Amino acid sequence: MSSDNIETDSIPHEAYLAAIASLEHVGPATFRWLLSHGSPSRVWQRLTSGRLTTGPGARITSAQIDRWAAQAASVNPAKIWARCVELGIGVVSIGSAGYPESLADDLDPPVVLFQRGDPNRVAKYKVAIVGTRRATGYGREVAHDLAKDLTAAGITIVSGLALGIDGACHAGAVNAIEEAGRTGGSARGPLAVVGANLESPCPQANRHLASKVAELGIVYSEVPPGTPSAPWRYPVRNRILAALCDVLVVVESDADGGSMHTVREALDRDRTVMAVPGPITGRYSRGTNQLLRDGAAPCLGADDVLMELGLTGKEGVTYEQLSTADSVDKSSGSSSVKGSGGGENKPNAYVPNEAEARLLEHLDWRPTTVEKLGASSGLTPRELATAAMTLESAGLIRRTGSWIERRV
Amino acid sequence: MMLAVVRSSTLIGVDGFPVQVEVHVGNGLPTFSIVGLPDASCRESRDRVRAAIATSGFKWPDTRITVNLAPTHLRKSGSALDLAIAVGILAASNQLAMGALDGLAFIGELGLDGSLRPVVGALPLVHAMGHLRPVVPPGNLTEARLVRSDALIAGSLVDLVESLEGRSQWVTPHDPDPSPPGLGEEPDLCEVQGQPVAKRALEVAAAGGHHVLMTGPPGAGKTMLAERLSSLLPDLDDELAFDVSRIHSAAGHFHDRDLIRRPPFRAPHHSASLVALLGGGSATLRPGEVSLASGGVLFLDELGEFPAGHLDALRQPLESGQIHIARASNAAVMPARFLLVAATNPCPCGLGRWGECRCSTAALARYGRRLSGPLLDRFDVRLAVERPEAMSVLKGRGEGPDSLSVRVRVAAAREVAATRGVRCNRELRGKEIDKFAPLSPKARDYLRGRLATGVLTMRGAQRIRVMALTIKDLDGADGPIDDVDLYEAILLRGDESTIGVAS
Repeated sequence: MSSDNIETDSIPHEAYLAAIASLEHVGPATFRWLLSHGSPSRVWQRLTSGRLTTGPGARITSAQIDRWAAQAASVNPAKIWARCVELGIGVVSIGSAGYPESLADDLDPPVVLFQRGDPNRVAKYKVAIVGTRRATGYGREVAHDLAKDLTAAGITIVSGLALGIDGACHAGAVNAIEEAGRTGGSARGPLAVVGANLESPCPQANRHLASKVAELGIVYSEVPPGTPSAPWRYPVRNRILAALCDVLVVVESDADGGSMHTVREALDRDRTVMAVPGPITGRYSRGTNQLLRDGAAPCLGADDVLMELGLTGKEGVTYEQLSTADSVDKSSGSSSVKGSGGGENKPNAYVPNEAEARLLEHLDWRPTTVEKLGASSGLTPRELATAAMTLESAGLIRRTGSWIERRV
Repeated sequence: MMLAVVRSSTLIGVDGFPVQVEVHVGNGLPTFSIVGLPDASCRESRDRVRAAIATSGFKWPDTRITVNLAPTHLRKSGSALDLAIAVGILAASNQLAMGALDGLAFIGELGLDGSLRPVVGALPLVHAMGHLRPVVPPGNLTEARLVRSDALIAGSLVDLVESLEGRSQWVTPHDPDPSPPGLGEEPDLCEVQGQPVAKRALEVAAAGGHHVLMTGPPGAGKTMLAERLSSLLPDLDDELAFDVSRIHSAAGHFHDRDLIRRPPFRAPHHSASLVALLGGGSATLRPGEVSLASGGVLFLDELGEFPAGHLDALRQPLESGQIHIARASNAAVMPARFLLVAATNPCPCGLGRWGECRCSTAALARYGRRLSGPLLDRFDVRLAVERPEAMSVLKGRGEGPDSLSVRVRVAAAREVAATRGVRCNRELRGKEIDKFAPLSPKARDYLRGRLATGVLTMRGAQRIRVMALTIKDLDGADGPIDDVDLYEAILLRGDESTIGVAS
């Protein structure tokens, strides 16, 4: 016991919170139940010794308490704390300074949050953009451009750094900030809430994006460093996304996708939910189209979101930077995620020639292979290539390998 | 006469090596030993030779017989030395005049009844004999005549001795049976419905020697297209035809009357072992599929199902056009200059088409990782093929170019490439590309733009230039590479990272 006392003196109570959070099956509700037993250091001592009382029919079984005791024996709060310090990960707990305001009075506030980045870089107004991991090119492009325009307008983009829509919108936000850095715009930092710990915050593919977001804005997680992630943590973090934002925009989602869970969390918290319409035959537009039918506001571009926030034309919003609703992607500032070959696109300025018109005619909203286009349009491979490259440069189509699709 | 020397040859890999068979019949207890690095299959000769000599009515010398196969550092395997050993024993035991063997070399396997049976690899074996006149089993005559039109045959050991001693005429071979009809027929490109871009891609691949990767769901016609690629390649020239024939002879696949003139097509299954693919095997180093496809097309269907190690082993032959097989006792270099065509499903479920694929993101990523970057890098043409529309299948056949007309264009393009000192444009490197594939100002600007936006790597840009050069050669055009040529090359090459599903 004496050694415990020494540690108690030298490390803050957040260290104990982090240690408790690193135990298995400690979700927000369990966490609050545990803290009802006293101060964090006291709860930790009782956890390690297994001296927690639980009555019959209580949600925590005594078997669970024994398992926690066994697990806690190998966890040292001081070590976790040292690790946070070493990695530059900040720890804020509910009630402490730096704890996000909008979470403080939430229905289900996280007890402790780990953060990387600077909370002061985040704007007052926050828009969450969520959607499926298996996004289409259309979805990714919409997410990217929407995030870019909103960021340029001084809004903070909130998302989860997952693959697909999440990644695309954060990439858009980062691009907008880098552009604003060159032109002196008023873009604000993005915000991310991840389901894994902050050492390895997300899928490997988004690693660079995650460090970029941490550098320009802030990344939150409920998971202490060193603790492996678990599947249940992902839906749980959705509530933080929903609580942090003012408006939630769903770009693409299947009818039972994880984004629909975020939507429910947002509705529980009276946040505005908007949805981007998609083709009714598309699998990943089912969820969003259903939302629209159920009364969610349609989002056709950044100014729909700004309108919803009550921001149009004021509060430093550089309105001319925002594109009009019907040409989201063709505004001069926004190129596609991958960047198009030619560069300068003027809205609606390009008039396709005969072969190009024929190609466009045979291109429906789905991505199509070059092969199929060749067969249906009757163009020779050479004509097809010329038409495709010209249209790509003009920003009317996007080519990924042998696949061609229309840009929005 | 106690010592006889008979000339023959042995096979290692696809090359024959001259062998001197020295037979000594000396005093001592009756034994029969073969020395000079014979392997197990070669040592079996003892029993065959002994039986053949006895059943042919000759006397088996009941003394000490030593057979030495020189040079002794070469490992000998197989049955091709049977005949030379038997002839040597007959000569050493004075049942055959030594002088009759001058200027002759013998290959052939003996039956226990003294008959002569054909051996594997007669073409390289006869080739290795140099100025010596070959005596071969009747079954190997066609192969032997491709090298030496004066090759001799004998049906059995008795006939051979009779002819050698001048007691009877050498057998004059009657004209060999005409080749079985129908075998020479190749599948034709015009049998493929639709797929105009794929057809053009195959044409460019054939002309420039660019390796092809096809991605598409089952039933999209990947195999059908690949099978037709070899029909687009021009006939093999004399040197290459001999090389290819020699390989097929060494593998025991050669039965034609003439050298192999049409580029071969090989399609090993993905369960093929590493040795079957690359060549090797314990006794003879047999040519593998990469060598058998030399001069033609190697088709790897279901590329992702091949073990990763096997695919990475293909990189050396792809780079150098040769395969070095080394074993503890033996080593061989075999030609392996092939056009690689690979096909793969876009994802594990195979549907691939956007919105239909049921694979999880993780499964897709795993599937994509099966093909190593360096291997994917070797493919200049990357094509997504789709199932043709049902209507176009019913429309009837015969649209698009047929193989022969494409082959003419391909041959012309390859001739242009030959003026640059390479067999095909794929082999152009670094400075040569700058020299032979200059860009027009517009094309230069376009490439520069793509490089600047990062959609293209420097290496990718060079490959696209080479492909554009091939396209130019095919169209018979002169002058620098135009932006339109580049467009087509880019369309056929796809992008840097492209197997898998769109979006």
